[in-house]
Amino acid sequence: MLVKKSLHSLTGKLILTIGSLMVVGSSIFWYFLFKHQEKELIQNSVKYGYSFVEYVKKSTRYGMLTFQGLLIQQTIEAIGSAEGVLRVRVFDSKGKIAYSSDKENVGIILDKHAPVCLGCHSANHHPKDTPTWSISKDRTDFRVLNIVQPIYNEVTCYTSSCHVHPQQQKILGIVEANLSLALLDRSVKRQGIAITIYILIFLFAISLVLCIILWNFVSTPVSLLAEGMKKVAGGDLDYHLDINSRDEMGDLARAFNAMTFDLKKAEDELVEWGHTLEKKVQEKTQAIQRAQAQLIHSEKLASLGRMAAGVAHEINSPLTGIVTFGHLLLKKFPPGTEEYEDVEVIIEQANRCSTIIKGLLGFARASAAEKAPTSINDVLTHSLNIVRNKADFFNIKLATNLDAGLSTVKADPSQLQQVFMNMIMNAADAIEGKGTITISTRNIKDTGNDFIEIEFHDTGPGISDEILEKLFEPFFTTKPVGKGTGLGLAVSHGIIQEHGGKIVVKTKLGGGTSFFVRLPSYKG
Amino acid sequence: MSKGRILVIDDESIVRTSCSRALSPEGYEVVSVQNGSEGLKMLEEGQFDIVLTDLKMPDIDGIEVLSKVKEKWPETEVIIITGYQTVDTAVRSIKLGAFDYVEKPFTPDTLIAAVTNALANRKK
Repeated sequence: MLVKKSLHSLTGKLILTIGSLMVVGSSIFWYFLFKHQEKELIQNSVKYGYSFVEYVKKSTRYGMLTFQGLLIQQTIEAIGSAEGVLRVRVFDSKGKIAYSSDKENVGIILDKHAPVCLGCHSANHHPKDTPTWSISKDRTDFRVLNIVQPIYNEVTCYTSSCHVHPQQQKILGIVEANLSLALLDRSVKRQGIAITIYILIFLFAISLVLCIILWNFVSTPVSLLAEGMKKVAGGDLDYHLDINSRDEMGDLARAFNAMTFDLKKAEDELVEWGHTLEKKVQEKTQAIQRAQAQLIHSEKLASLGRMAAGVAHEINSPLTGIVTFGHLLLKKFPPGTEEYEDVEVIIEQANRCSTIIKGLLGFARASAAEKAPTSINDVLTHSLNIVRNKADFFNIKLATNLDAGLSTVKADPSQLQQVFMNMIMNAADAIEGKGTITISTRNIKDTGNDFIEIEFHDTGPGISDEILEKLFEPFFTTKPVGKGTGLGLAVSHGIIQEHGGKIVVKTKLGGGTSFFVRLPSYKG
Repeated sequence: MSKGRILVIDDESIVRTSCSRALSPEGYEVVSVQNGSEGLKMLEEGQFDIVLTDLKMPDIDGIEVLSKVKEKWPETEVIIITGYQTVDTAVRSIKLGAFDYVEKPFTPDTLIAAVTNALANRKK
């Protein structure tokens, strides 16, 4: 399995291909080199063979000329006993073995077709072209070099006293030597084995080096890359490939890292975008909810206003009757009598009804404002002038801290005066007629826009959380029955909202209360 | 001889009665009608020193009565009585020549004071 897998791997394939190419290439190279070397060796052996035969001829020359057969035979035997010499034979022209290193062969006549005779007696060749050497194999499968050389007739031969050879005869016989090539064969074989071993070692070493190189420069980076791809595909965009080589693998790794970085960046942007989108949706939803709440509130105020207008018109006439006739009746009783006091109560309660109606009418007015650029400081000063002379304010210190550089606002001054009066009255009620009311104005920035802020601070006991929640609800009041309608802040809230502003309350139990009225600055 | 002739125009009978009960003892001759057109008819028939008119009435409203009176009988003073006061209508009424503006519910004293002032103004 592992082998199969490694064969399919890039390294396996490369090693297999390069290995095969090297085996084939080096085999061809070594084969030809080996063959060439063998040929050289054979040629050298042949040269040696010729010298050997020449040596035989020269050694036996004297014996020939003096016709001493025994001497020749002994010489041949001596030469034939040398190492590497298998056999030396001398044939006469009739094909008879005249002398031989193997004494027993002497006297045997060989047929024309014997291999040794074939050189001259073959019909295919002219004797001149006949190769004078050949290679055969001995019984032990070693090669044998066979050298055949003719013995030519010479003057000294046919003039010799033995007169064995006539002058006309060209060739007197042949010398044949069989030289063993066993040494050469062994050497060649050993060399072959050595070369094969060297090639194998060389191939193994090359493969090992290749393996290491490929493993380090290809396999490891590729598997790292593959692992990286898997991780990135699995969503791990922080994965960083640690390949710093300057080759193509390094380039690939850098490209990969750049890609994951870009992907990560894109994903981060997307996530960030998603978050901001979510936030924006939330903000928008909140804004819509606020707008809706405001709309409902405004609608509530408007319908209250419409109802108030109708009610005011309908109720005020009967109240006129009650008040008028109450007063008429009052005149009929002397002051101090029970009847007088009863009628006073009737008139008082009718007046209370009238106050409630006036409060309700505030709603109707809140939605029909006539706005003009207005100086808030002027409106405040005017409001303060009205309250200053009231008996309720004799023990109250009214402090002002008005910003002379206050921006103007686009507003309905009479409506704002109503709001400010309400704030001042509430503050006066909170401090129960004793203490300080501080009114300050300033320019501020709210959510990036220019606003003006009017702060009504009192030194009263502060407002509890429970009350704070209901502060702006119509008909909610903490004042004793008959003193407050619970409409002042609701109407003020409606008016300020209508002017694009808001009322913020900051209070601390035992530490006084501040009402902040914020209105958008007018840049006309 | 009465102190002055006063025409009260109001669709609410209680208001008419209230006016007449408050003013009659003071020596004024009070005539009451229940709508604008009747009021104008009465004005055609006899002279009045003061007209007390409601603003909101079914046929001809107070503002129209006021402008008609000021157009035909400029000597006659008009006092607006209303149960539904806005700055807007107040300003409009005064601009059109109303002498005063009385809010419902009023006390007899308030009404008498307004009428007395109006009459004094007329005699100047």
